[in-house]
Amino acid sequence: MIPYNRITLSNGLVVVVNRDRVSKLAAVNLLYKVGARNENPERTGFAHLFEHLMFRGTRRVPNFDLPVQMASGDNNAFTNNDYTDFYITLPKDNLETALWLESDRMQGLGITPEKLETEKRVVIEEFRQRYLNQPYGDQTMLLRDLAYKRHPYRWATIGLTPDHIERTSLSDVEAFYRRYYHPSNAVLSISADLDEERMLTLVDNWFSSLPDRASTPDPVPQEPRQTEARRLEVERDVPATTVSVAYHMCARTEPDFYTADLVSDLLAGGDSGRLYTHLVKERQLLSSVNAYVSGDVDPGLFVFTGQLLPGTATDQVEEAFRAEIEALRRDAATEYEIEKVKNKFEATTLFGELNVMNKAMNLGFYEMLGDLTLINREIDRYRAVTPDDIRSFCDRILRSENSSTLIYRARQ
Amino acid sequence: MTPPRITPSEVDVQQAEKRILRNGVALYWLASEDFEVLRISFVFRAGSSVQTVPFSASAVVNLLSEGSTERSAQQIAEQLDYYGSWYDVNIDRDYAYVNFASLSKFFDRTIEVAEEILLRPAFPEEELRTYAAKRKQRLAIDRTKVDIEAREAFARALFGATHPYGISSDEGLYDSLTRSQVVDFYRRFYTAERCFVVCSGRIGERELQAIGALAEQFPHGSPEIEPPFPTPETVHADFVAHPGAVQSSLRLGRLLFPRQHPDFVGMQVVATALGGYFGSRLMQNLRERNGYTYGVVAAMVNFERAGYFAVATQVGSDVTREALEAIYHEIELLRTEPMPEEELELVKNMMTGEMMRILDGPFGIADVTIENILCGCDNTVIGENVRRIRRMTPHDVWVLARKYLARKDLVTVVAGAERPW
Repeated sequence: MIPYNRITLSNGLVVVVNRDRVSKLAAVNLLYKVGARNENPERTGFAHLFEHLMFRGTRRVPNFDLPVQMASGDNNAFTNNDYTDFYITLPKDNLETALWLESDRMQGLGITPEKLETEKRVVIEEFRQRYLNQPYGDQTMLLRDLAYKRHPYRWATIGLTPDHIERTSLSDVEAFYRRYYHPSNAVLSISADLDEERMLTLVDNWFSSLPDRASTPDPVPQEPRQTEARRLEVERDVPATTVSVAYHMCARTEPDFYTADLVSDLLAGGDSGRLYTHLVKERQLLSSVNAYVSGDVDPGLFVFTGQLLPGTATDQVEEAFRAEIEALRRDAATEYEIEKVKNKFEATTLFGELNVMNKAMNLGFYEMLGDLTLINREIDRYRAVTPDDIRSFCDRILRSENSSTLIYRARQ
Repeated sequence: MTPPRITPSEVDVQQAEKRILRNGVALYWLASEDFEVLRISFVFRAGSSVQTVPFSASAVVNLLSEGSTERSAQQIAEQLDYYGSWYDVNIDRDYAYVNFASLSKFFDRTIEVAEEILLRPAFPEEELRTYAAKRKQRLAIDRTKVDIEAREAFARALFGATHPYGISSDEGLYDSLTRSQVVDFYRRFYTAERCFVVCSGRIGERELQAIGALAEQFPHGSPEIEPPFPTPETVHADFVAHPGAVQSSLRLGRLLFPRQHPDFVGMQVVATALGGYFGSRLMQNLRERNGYTYGVVAAMVNFERAGYFAVATQVGSDVTREALEAIYHEIELLRTEPMPEEELELVKNMMTGEMMRILDGPFGIADVTIENILCGCDNTVIGENVRRIRRMTPHDVWVLARKYLARKDLVTVVAGAERPW
């Protein structure tokens, strides 16, 4: 249970604070509601490149990291398809340093052509290091591209190609900044052992004078319903073949999400999950296996993926995945299995509340989803899932016509 | 209009309490009523450097939970998962770590299965074969990455290809690992003499009794003759060819000393200034000014009987030479010009903050406590080290860099498409 206080400043900035009772640190999380889903298909990877530029200094503070580090702080950021998240932890007495710096870069960013050129090179190296120079580096990219035809989820946060990053201009950067980086498109969350009223006053001091530049985002093209099974087979220089099967499912905020997440846990939660037990341990078809939900704001994917042991054929694995779905549909889940998944969520929740950074980040995430109260209520959503829901989920979602299969074959 | 800034000058850490069990095992605890969870860590001096059969040390720790004399691997996994308990193991060259974390209300259930895992592992033949096949495949995949190629080559270059800290074995040897070799390793090294326990979170007398009752069952081992620890034989350069790689992985550094050495903390300051944080000299040069890399780090690495200084990065294949020169250049600058006061102040504040972050939460404190015990210290060493860091002057940094970072002493390893020299 995370107690919190939530207010909205007159410029639209949503602020959420939590009083921790133990930590000597303060965690400050600033989330902007913009991600790869808001990108132009000709300029993919842009939201992430922009995240990097946010560390390139402002007109007033030429070096962002310096004052953070001087205040014994640490900061970083990440971008995903839905949002961009900046976070700082520092000794709680230095909370204001974080607020000062975040308020400053919400409006005063000073990007020069030179800074942009250097950052493009850094991001292109990141593209190479994580996606091109890595065995299986392009696997999820291929799967996205197969499963999505219209929705921008068809590309990864890093983008479709380094060329898109290369072509970014300074005016693209300025337009993006004006459009998405303003108070009413952001959520500021803090967790620290400080009085909540005091935290809110400090936030007010540093943020309330920032003017808003409200704008309505372009609608995100939604994915048409898939009507027939899709497949793609590629060959790469990797030691082991993998099989991935993705099914379209609902958005993160819909009730069906909890059924999907629970199903993924029944199949792949820990070493006692059904897939690991049956396909790795008993039948020894795979060296590793997973089932997961993407958990995106717009309708996402339910994915099966397995890495084959030598001697296993890909159609055996596809058949084995189908058999597991059939078993779920037929026997659904027992009370015992559902209780187990609930225990797991309870443990995950409590382990996640052990430090201030996790709490601040979670507060920002649930506010971004549009329902902050979920942070303390999700366990009830999981508790509400019934065996009938699971059967229905298998029928509606885990169907062949709704599937995209990627065979990522090891070159002989 | 900048806010006031407070520099934390002291980092005080809860002291672990300790009792010695009947069989000599030390049990340490850090109790905190603020949480509804707890963690228990069992540490064994059973790392890969004591093994005589390749992969036997890691096989033991990874197979502990894969079946006991009373329960199958599936039953053990089921009991851990059912109560939402977290179980993980890891191993380094010196030690093996077995960790359990659970909701306080399921402590009894967790300790029950911990006992099966730690005291009655059966190492079933079938589980060993599955494990060996999976690990062999994973290692083969890892070895297609330039980063892993460079890391392994660097250890060989520092210590020698047959040295316990330097050796990397062919993954094919997983096929010949036998059950009796695994059982033998467990019997020799998972003993009372080689074990201690650290727990944290909600720990009361009842929990201590239960954990103590478990740990008291570790048998005494036969007096173990320490395996030979030869003098390292350093090679100063190595190149691993990886045709077609779009990036090269670079490792530079040299053998120095373990944590107990009086210059270790000072060299941590030097390494941090060079490459230990986002605004470090190497990040400024390689990433911010030149865009050669996504990231670069420098650090002091500690083993039980050795320690080394290392720089690691991955850079575009076409700028490999330039990046190497830039790293040598930044190291040389530390030796020729005194560090500006302000930069050193920044590094000190960074390191203080980093220590506070590591210590945040009951599990972090346990990790730091384990590390201190392994170095023969208690948790007061944290405060001492912070004070030592704060006392460092630009002159001290310069003296250390001159003493330890001469170009002729550096080892350079590159894995990539083209030999850069």
